[in-house]
Amino acid sequence: MKNTVRRFWQIVSKPSVHLSFGFLTMGGFIAGIIFWGGFNTALEATNTEEFCIGCHEMHDNVYVELQETIHWQNRSGVRATCPDCHVPHNWTDKIARKMQASKEVWGAIFGTIDTREKFLAKRGELAQHEWDRLTANNSLECKNCHNYDSMDFNMMSERARVQMKMAAERDQSCIDCHKGIAHHLPENMNSGDGMLAKLEAMATSGYQVGQAYYSVRQLPMFTDSTLTTEAGQLNAATKVTILDVKGDAIQIEIDAWRKTKGFGRVLFEDFAMNINDGYLTKEVAQSDQYMQQGESKEDDLTGLPWQKVAVTLWLRNGSLTDSRDRLWQFAKTTYDTSCSVCHTQPAEAHFDTNTWPGMFNGMLSFVNLDGDTQALVLKYLQKHSSDFADGAH
Amino acid sequence: MTISRRSFLKGIAATSAAGLIGPSLLQQAVAAASESPGQWQVSGSHWGAFRARVYAGKVQEIKPFEADSYPTEMLKGIKGIIYSPSRIRYPMVRYDWFLKRHQSDTKQRGDNRFIRVTWDQAIDMFYQELERVQTQYGPWALHTGQTGWRQTGQVHSCGNHMERAIAMHGYSVKKVGDYSTGAGQTIMPYVLGSTEVYAQGTSWPLILKHSKTIVLWGSDLVKNLQVGWNCETHEAYEYLEQLKEKVAKKQIRVISVDPVRTKTQKYLNCEQQYVNPQTDVPFMLGIAHTLYSEKLHDENFLKTYALGFEDFIPYVMGKSKDKVEKTPEWAESICGIAADDIREFARLLAKQRTQIIFGWCVQRQQHGEQPYWMGAVIAAMLGQIGLPGGGISYAHHYSSIGVPSTGAAGPGGFPRNPDNPDDRIHKNNDFKGYSSTIPVARWVDAIIEPGKKINANGATITLPDLKMMVFSGCNPWHHHQDRNRMKQAFQKLETVVSVDFTWTATCRFADIVLPACTQWERNDIDLYGSYSSRGIIAMHKLVDPLFQSKTDFDIFTLLAKRFGKDKAYTQGKGEMEWVKQLYDECAQANKGKFEMPDFATFWQQGWVDFGKGENWTRQADFREDPEINALGTPSGFIEIFSRKIDRYGYDDCQGHPMWFEKAERSHGGPGSDKHPIWLQSCHPDKRLHSQMCDSEAFRATYTVQGREPLYMNPKDAAQRGIKDGDLVRVFNQRGQLLAGAVVSDDYAPGVARLQEGAWYGPESEAIGALDTYGDPNTLTMDIGTSQLAQATSANTCLVEIEKYQGDAPAVTAFGGPVEIS
Repeated sequence: MKNTVRRFWQIVSKPSVHLSFGFLTMGGFIAGIIFWGGFNTALEATNTEEFCIGCHEMHDNVYVELQETIHWQNRSGVRATCPDCHVPHNWTDKIARKMQASKEVWGAIFGTIDTREKFLAKRGELAQHEWDRLTANNSLECKNCHNYDSMDFNMMSERARVQMKMAAERDQSCIDCHKGIAHHLPENMNSGDGMLAKLEAMATSGYQVGQAYYSVRQLPMFTDSTLTTEAGQLNAATKVTILDVKGDAIQIEIDAWRKTKGFGRVLFEDFAMNINDGYLTKEVAQSDQYMQQGESKEDDLTGLPWQKVAVTLWLRNGSLTDSRDRLWQFAKTTYDTSCSVCHTQPAEAHFDTNTWPGMFNGMLSFVNLDGDTQALVLKYLQKHSSDFADGAH
Repeated sequence: MTISRRSFLKGIAATSAAGLIGPSLLQQAVAAASESPGQWQVSGSHWGAFRARVYAGKVQEIKPFEADSYPTEMLKGIKGIIYSPSRIRYPMVRYDWFLKRHQSDTKQRGDNRFIRVTWDQAIDMFYQELERVQTQYGPWALHTGQTGWRQTGQVHSCGNHMERAIAMHGYSVKKVGDYSTGAGQTIMPYVLGSTEVYAQGTSWPLILKHSKTIVLWGSDLVKNLQVGWNCETHEAYEYLEQLKEKVAKKQIRVISVDPVRTKTQKYLNCEQQYVNPQTDVPFMLGIAHTLYSEKLHDENFLKTYALGFEDFIPYVMGKSKDKVEKTPEWAESICGIAADDIREFARLLAKQRTQIIFGWCVQRQQHGEQPYWMGAVIAAMLGQIGLPGGGISYAHHYSSIGVPSTGAAGPGGFPRNPDNPDDRIHKNNDFKGYSSTIPVARWVDAIIEPGKKINANGATITLPDLKMMVFSGCNPWHHHQDRNRMKQAFQKLETVVSVDFTWTATCRFADIVLPACTQWERNDIDLYGSYSSRGIIAMHKLVDPLFQSKTDFDIFTLLAKRFGKDKAYTQGKGEMEWVKQLYDECAQANKGKFEMPDFATFWQQGWVDFGKGENWTRQADFREDPEINALGTPSGFIEIFSRKIDRYGYDDCQGHPMWFEKAERSHGGPGSDKHPIWLQSCHPDKRLHSQMCDSEAFRATYTVQGREPLYMNPKDAAQRGIKDGDLVRVFNQRGQLLAGAVVSDDYAPGVARLQEGAWYGPESEAIGALDTYGDPNTLTMDIGTSQLAQATSANTCLVEIEKYQGDAPAVTAFGGPVEIS
């Protein structure tokens, strides 16, 4: 091998004996053009809708789904084809994406998703790749056509206006909210449970160790990275700090308080405030292995002893967001809509943190909220109660 | 299938005729012969679902919905609501207000003289007044928060429409709480961690299976379960029927604690424990004393699930506060129950599985927080909370609570809030130091004493200086207390708008009155069974809006159009689009759990049936694991002593339940020397609050000489020379009314009843004028229950009754305004 390289170097480093300098330079140039042109033609050929739907995996699944959407047919006749959204428009990114795509060729040859069932099973993973990519580039392909600056907010419905203005101010990534806009959502996100799907769609993709995140919904916790022994449940909108990421598992720390009457299984966000952060199994709650115990003091309003704790446990990767405001926005909309069907919903700051659970529990029979949304809305109300608002009433 | 003689004969006639004439002609002939003309259509109501035969543009006949096995008699009143002479026909404006607008002579308010205007004029005036109040004063001067029982239907729900449209124009003063359960819903979150009054209760099948004793504490199930917040299913009556059987077989002992023999007591043929009015707390303290002294209380339960028992029991044993030991003998002197009977009662509760079921009446009195709290303490001492057929509940009489729930989602509603809360014509949100939210029953206080600071639920409320009020499908001239005080207050208001389909007393005291149509003159959708979620009911429009009436949707779209927000208001959708949208969203929410047909199929079938639900035990999860399933109280446990309430420092609602003497109390209490008879104003048997009082023929089935019946004891009647069927004058220092006496042993001596919701019909607009029909709130007291809830105290009311002499004035309550032209 080493000899071959040396011989090759000897040949190319010698001046040419038989060919003219002109031929070599011009010919090289022309050959380069031909090669480059061919490459690009071939590349562009792979960049057409026709090519994309050439294999039945694409044709029978995502392509037919696209045809049901506004990106396929609309009153102005502008159609988004596959590469418009899925292939980056600048060259380096395009080449990078094409190299990634070789995996798709492999998949096509070996039949990884050659049936609808296989495709559906794999959809979550495939979608996650695209979401990650769009999150990383701040939804660049969407923004090639849709531009915040060009939007006339006055022409939007009132609801859209509120959301879009907020998004524009932060130059928010479109995919944060518009997952599933051109193809169906993965099944677990669209199982008739619209609320849950919306929450899941708020999850951030990719985490940084040492950073704080918030759970978008209730999540099971485990004692170690194998995610086998259940340690309890993390409540929605709970702040966690990521300590470690190991494949599918992430290690988190929760800084919380607990009441020490009973087994001390329930975690609360702050001293003497019944804002639920989650609960632990009896074993975990009473084991020093996962619990770091801090100061203790008595809550004067109930006479119960409270203790500060730091809990270290593991979660399955996913369902965390870096922005609690986004969760609050969702919770507020849900509260305003669901709790005003029968009566005017009380202002958030009308009650204090520890009164809200009683008021909220007492009215739940009348609203259609799943457990995750209930937990989130209650936490929103508590975090915006008179304890946190200035000049309530 | 059973074949009636009639249908059999018709069948024979049809077959024999078939030989003579052709088949197509025959079918028509059969249809005509077998049914009265017209179309049968489905609709719903607070009184249940029904099918109506519509012919020649008129509702001809109403029959109960086939899925309703226990329809209420009140369905007979529906037609009379649609075709009532009290219907509002045209937009009307009070005569003097029409001349001078907001500078009108408000002393004329209530003289019922109105002038007819066009819709355009009326909406212009409405809009101009909103503009004037927002610019001249600000949001603190406008109160739109008083909302009530509306007509059913989730798209046209009138409060939602009014509040959405007004909110798109500007901010206004809102309320918290309601007239039905104000004290209960405020105290119970501190004690049991939920409002309780609106929470699902243990399922009836479990109560029937496990309870040995059922105590109905001021709860008249049979009377009150006739109506529901949404379309009522009456499923609970099936279980009451089974309970009746078990009572007869002596398998369950049911005791009704009540000064009156209730409809339920008579239906079940069960026992009564008489108690003096308003003295439930002394009775309960006597019970607690017995349980504690005889060690019948469950110490383990108290230790595990409750806090503060040790701070409470010294009060019972005479070691704290008033230093009076609350022995059964002490209780006897107040509540009128023999000390030994109190002991027996306590022992019975502790002996076996006991379900205590409270009604709402006892919390609609001064210190109404106390009996509810004390009931929870008794239940905690018995230690059966969280067991099937044990513990305590506060709402088994309401909207079929206790019927197992399917858990299906119901349709949402037309949005009450603007889609963008910041997008209003008037952005001024400065309430100038006044409170923007007030306890629901304190708005008349606000009009009379603006700027006054009152305590409410741990906060200080500054009563706003109200100048304008808007009511929609809401009749405070029925549900608020003390009419003559209201008259005084309304003289201070500049402008009052009332939107309704019928000329209530609220319209009489308003300036601009807009005619809405009834719920049967529009298309809508509703949940079938508020708590059982039995299904979804289609509400077909039966007839077009009568006279010049319009749907609430159309009325407030017109208003929103005045300030350019009609498109935002309707979201560009019409009535049927909204109905379909609510249905489709509901179907989406139920996907995978309950299959629902497409909208067209549903609309044609008239309903979707989700079937029967699952049994459930209240607080069972808490009993199983009080740490994870903590209650919503500050501590997460049952709070027998609330440090939080204690810290508020109120004298009329302290750290634990206590006995407080009332401002007025019969049977030897304060004021009974002057006005000896206690007047209870419970929910009516033949109306839904004030709804259906305007249904003429149906009203005639229960009135006495055209007046509201006043129920009283034979001895009380004899003493006053009153006979059954006499006209009587009922009066006290606050007011006077005419009613028709019904003399009955069901009422204990010193106890009388006028059912609330009887329409107010004053002889004139003058303060103190005689009410000609019999509205109990002519006589009731307008004070808060305590500084905690500030709720209504309607059941703290003493009166005197006399036979009415001379010519009785005509009833003025019905038939609409006096039209000036």
